[in-house]
Amino acid sequence: MNNDLSVGIVVFPGSNCDHDTIAAISSLGAKPVVLDYRLHSLPVLDRVILPGGFSYGDYLRSGALAAAAPIMDAVEQAAADGLPVLGICNGFQILCERGLLPGTLLPNPSGEFICQWQAVRVASESPLFTGLDQGRVLRLPIAHHEGSYRVAQGQLAELFERGQIFLQYSDAEGQLHGLTNPNGSVANIAGVQNRNVVGLMPHPERAMAAYLGSRDGWDLLASWLGMGENAVC
Amino acid sequence: MLTYQDVGLSAREDQEIVRLLGRRPNELELGLFGALWSEHCSYKSSKNLLAQLPHQGQFVVQGPGGNAGVVQLSADWDIAFKIESHNHPSFVEPLQGAATGVGGILRDIVAMGARPIAIADILKFGTDEKAPGLLHRVVEGIGAYGNAIGIPNVTGSLGFSAVYDANPLVNVLAVGMRRHGLHVGADGARPESVLILIGQGTGRDGIHGASLLASQDFGAETEEMRPTVQVGDPFMGKLLMEATLAIVDQGLADAVQDLGAAGLTSSTAELAYASSVGVVVDVSKVICREQNMNPYEIMLSETQERMLLSVPKKNLAAVLEILTWYEVPYAEIGRVVAGDFLRVVAESQVLAELPTSVLVGGCPRLPVTHDVWIWDGDQPAALEKTRLELTWGYQVIGHPDCRDRSSVYQRYDSMIGLRTVWGPEHDVAVMHIEKGSPGLCVAVTAPARWAALDSYAGGIGAVAAALSLVATQGAVPLGITDGINAGNPENSEPHRKMAALIQGIGKAAEIFEVPVTGGNVSLHNETEGQAIWPTAAIGVVARHPNPEQPIADAPPYAGTRILVLNPPGKPDLGGSVLAEILGHPGSYPVLDVGAIQHSLHFLAEIISQAKNVGLLACRAVGIGGLFVAVAKSLITKTPMALGAHLVLAEDADARFVFNEMAGQWVLFVEPDFKPFWDQVFETHGVSVIDIGLVTDSPELMITAGRAITWPLIDLWRAYRKGGVRDVR
Amino acid sequence: MTQFRLTFLVGLKEGILDPAGQATRNVLQNMGYQADDVRIGKWIQVVVSAKTEDQALTIGQEIGQRLLSNPVMEYFEVTVQAYE
Repeated sequence: MNNDLSVGIVVFPGSNCDHDTIAAISSLGAKPVVLDYRLHSLPVLDRVILPGGFSYGDYLRSGALAAAAPIMDAVEQAAADGLPVLGICNGFQILCERGLLPGTLLPNPSGEFICQWQAVRVASESPLFTGLDQGRVLRLPIAHHEGSYRVAQGQLAELFERGQIFLQYSDAEGQLHGLTNPNGSVANIAGVQNRNVVGLMPHPERAMAAYLGSRDGWDLLASWLGMGENAVC
Repeated sequence: MLTYQDVGLSAREDQEIVRLLGRRPNELELGLFGALWSEHCSYKSSKNLLAQLPHQGQFVVQGPGGNAGVVQLSADWDIAFKIESHNHPSFVEPLQGAATGVGGILRDIVAMGARPIAIADILKFGTDEKAPGLLHRVVEGIGAYGNAIGIPNVTGSLGFSAVYDANPLVNVLAVGMRRHGLHVGADGARPESVLILIGQGTGRDGIHGASLLASQDFGAETEEMRPTVQVGDPFMGKLLMEATLAIVDQGLADAVQDLGAAGLTSSTAELAYASSVGVVVDVSKVICREQNMNPYEIMLSETQERMLLSVPKKNLAAVLEILTWYEVPYAEIGRVVAGDFLRVVAESQVLAELPTSVLVGGCPRLPVTHDVWIWDGDQPAALEKTRLELTWGYQVIGHPDCRDRSSVYQRYDSMIGLRTVWGPEHDVAVMHIEKGSPGLCVAVTAPARWAALDSYAGGIGAVAAALSLVATQGAVPLGITDGINAGNPENSEPHRKMAALIQGIGKAAEIFEVPVTGGNVSLHNETEGQAIWPTAAIGVVARHPNPEQPIADAPPYAGTRILVLNPPGKPDLGGSVLAEILGHPGSYPVLDVGAIQHSLHFLAEIISQAKNVGLLACRAVGIGGLFVAVAKSLITKTPMALGAHLVLAEDADARFVFNEMAGQWVLFVEPDFKPFWDQVFETHGVSVIDIGLVTDSPELMITAGRAITWPLIDLWRAYRKGGVRDVR
Repeated sequence: MTQFRLTFLVGLKEGILDPAGQATRNVLQNMGYQADDVRIGKWIQVVVSAKTEDQALTIGQEIGQRLLSNPVMEYFEVTVQAYE
């Protein structure tokens, strides 16, 4: 049991995966703490999640308006102080817009929103995700309009060398190729990390039970919470 | 000087207004009448027909008349649900028209105090060169709104015919849940309460949308209405939804009404009428987005994302606090008083005062016609005795009405909310409600071709098809909602066909004992004399006994027996896809509703009571007939490893395989239970025939005298064949 | 034939709601800027071949009307200059 673990979940105007994320964190036995975007400081927390879903309607650029919200000063400070921060989908976009993660997320080349089940492969072991081995393939939903990950010229090799590439779109066997890349992301990148800050496009909070199609999101979040196999049901 | 024609009224209606009021209305009042007496708001051509539908049932909490019907799902939860159309706006501006259609029906659900948990889209498009572009933008609009506001799109229906070239249909079903026992609606406003208008600032968008755009046929002058197009703002919609639900959950408002067609006029008048009170609206208090808007424009604007609340004074501070928290703009625009009128004022000056009994209740309705359209059999009948052909299999499964829809539904978020157990990749949606609670089954059908000639039979078929879908899950239907789409009601043929369609729906609802708890009627889907087929979009919500374990729709292993439950005694291709391909559309057959009812009960009994009779999977026969039902069960599985061998009677022909008579099911059962199924007619009185078995060879083989084999990969290609994307 | 650069500004017509502009304005205000109104549109550049500048502009008017703007809700402005 990890009842003492408190996880802040930032709610921006328009956020729409906040309820799902709260439910997922609760089901893992941790304590969700809703954080309003107007806050200028954070309470004492063990983790922070920027959930997915259309903050400010995705207007201007996805994540751009939320990145300017008051709470992001506090999140940036806390991240610098070592607090683990996880951005999911729109949360990933916000972290990129804020400059807490490298790169940016462009509109899908199809110009269309895409929602489907997707296999992703753990590209490198991370101290943030204990027990999630390199090469492990997870089945997770993706649902986004701006998910095409790009980095500045020449930056890609550096990211790989430093082990900052966390997840890559793959097939069910973990093979990487163009056919398994749903959104034209460079090097099939689905998630990146920068020290204690991590962002990913897939939605682990939607894959918490076999009846929803997969329980792999449970494994991913439990690992991030440091619960490993000990998470309660 | 504004005349009755300017606001879309007839001379007769104008005279009736003068008679009822005892005076001539002023210009503003005439505008209010134009809006509320429009077809779109008054349902004047259809109301008497709709009154014939059965509305009562053991699960009904609220029938028609409110913003949405409400049925009881469990001891804890009610379900609010309704279909709405946005056909005309979607033709004028496909993206925004479809988006605002989604926003509008979601607000209807929220106005009932229910949190939306699912939407479904029912679309009909033409076959001309414009259709693919229209479809693309409509899907974009539905996705743009639904994805952003965060409601999953869990099922849908898409069909094509040239009759929709100039009148595509965009109907959306929304489903919400609320605590059982919570009563919210437009009918609870009490004198002394304050009227608060919340949400988007009012602009000049959509003025006369109801009276002119939605209530007249298209013609050249439609072009000029374009500047009135409304833009959807799902971001504001989300804030508005959260704020309204917070206010409702805390019991702070005595009435809630969303602003849809005819904006402030219909919302205030209908709230007053439903609550048997009077209302005073001060247009000078309304927050306007544009300069110098006059009272007429303010009262008739159709700006989206607005909601009207009636709040008792003691709750006002708490309500304003919630609105401020969610950053939803608001203004106190009036008050509820004793009486039965809508009074429009600008500060102290009275601009209009009309009794709601006249404004809302006084619109003369078209009398029920007994002259309904009856198919007289003189039309070209479907082919008799047709030998099965290899190419027909590919043609039917590759027909635009049967094809794979992933290029559409992958543009919708179908999984947000953690409730989607089965989404749009299945024929029926299964939703999780909460641990230990029954789930929710949602299905939609809109089999337009069926109603093209015999609208009455088509109406029955549409309901039977929807109920057949939820029956595959053993789910108990709680209620249905109907979206009626038809041509100009002032023309005899479209009107008589619509009457027949509604009668068919009513007949089916009565026999199957499922109430119609609300819906929508969209008329004037007619351009230059060319009316659409009368088209019923049927949505059904049903109680799922075991949502964490849906009954599969594909066989699990080779050796599984394949049965057909309730095969028609005299299969008839009328109205089917194959009949259309062969150029002999025929007329949809009148179904044996008694046998269907019997089969529905039987399925519900064996599935919901978890009787172990070896049922491994089940799929309803729908568009494309038995052939497509079996083929889809095989080709939608990954990997595509299982095939089927159907062995039919030597004289069985294409009519058996491709007929679309609703109320048939393909059952996949364990071979060990063969004795039960062989006896089932004697023990349960339902007709079941054994047609073959599942094989481990990836092909569909049908033997009826001679054998024909379709490799699954070829069927899959035809099914996927670009789907909609190719057409584009 | 000479090449010309057509530059289009496409914006929402007056009175048409601009949700993105509205949300952006609100955030600018929250950041402390006195932003009274924001309207968001598109900037499009097209290089065309034409005999004269006038002809290029005529083409510009045509494609602005027929494709680049949605006449239901958008207006556009087009300017032309020589393309080197």
